[in-house]
Amino acid sequence: MLELLGTIGANIISLPGILGLALGMMTRNLMLGAVIGGVVGVLETLIFAHWSFANIQTIELVIAVVVGFCAGALGSAIRIKGATV
Amino acid sequence: MADSPEKRGWIGRIWNAIWTPAVMFSSGFLVLAGFLAGILFWGGFHWTLELTNTEEFCTSCHTMETNLGEYRETVHYNNHSGVRAICSDCHVPHEWNHKIKAKIMAVKDVYHELAGTISTPEKYEDHRLSMASAVWKKMKASDSRECRNCHNFDYMDFTIQETRAASEHQRAIDNNMTCIDCHQGIAHSLPPGYLEQYQEVTETLASKASGTLQDQVADSSAEIRSFLTKQAD
Repeated sequence: MLELLGTIGANIISLPGILGLALGMMTRNLMLGAVIGGVVGVLETLIFAHWSFANIQTIELVIAVVVGFCAGALGSAIRIKGATV
Repeated sequence: MADSPEKRGWIGRIWNAIWTPAVMFSSGFLVLAGFLAGILFWGGFHWTLELTNTEEFCTSCHTMETNLGEYRETVHYNNHSGVRAICSDCHVPHEWNHKIKAKIMAVKDVYHELAGTISTPEKYEDHRLSMASAVWKKMKASDSRECRNCHNFDYMDFTIQETRAASEHQRAIDNNMTCIDCHQGIAHSLPPGYLEQYQEVTETLASKASGTLQDQVADSSAEIRSFLTKQAD
């Protein structure tokens, strides 16, 4: 349980959370923002696994993608709410 | 119909202020101010995080006194060259994602300090094996990542190592072993029954890994069977 929370927290203040949010803010399309965040999640997992799929644990990849997905969608929602362009 | 600004509570007024376009600040001002605020926030966050990596911080809890005493007797604390490895060098990963995960998981240490789980020498000894086992599991699973921040087989000169060390390191390379496979107790005392416990840790991790491999093999065999069936049809 603690490991799960640690992984989620780490992803929130790592690339999927921060870059996913920033990239999500570049579009008003919620789904596109979420997908971009999810892609960041995949890339981040690969970076920390030194580009080797053998070093990736499924649960870590899933959490990174889900966090990226949520952050990207949130970024798009912020764009919709906070910008007129 | 939305409430008038006067009828809103303070949360509503703050929410409204956040989402109202800023008419009194230029875009350049907002960008620069946001950039500077970001630097201050991130610098402060990182600086605070690094403070939690210091030996003083780690050993400021009463429960860490036993570990500290044991560590002070080892080569990682005191040696001929003066190069040291402090608590965080072995227990906190360097890479950002792994580091944050370790920091969040360290919340349990604060809880156990408050709960007094290992507050007496007797309690400490009762938990020594399980605590050591948790660290071994982490190190074995990460291929002793934290050891390898300083120690690297690629740069070891076996010709100036003791014969036994050189031969054991060569064996480790040949058999794809990791640092913790031999170096348990390098910084803290070993509990009785540690070898059996370490064996259990390695077997558990190996069974997980082979389980994944078996699943992959099973998946492949199903694919092959389906391919052959289609070909036969």
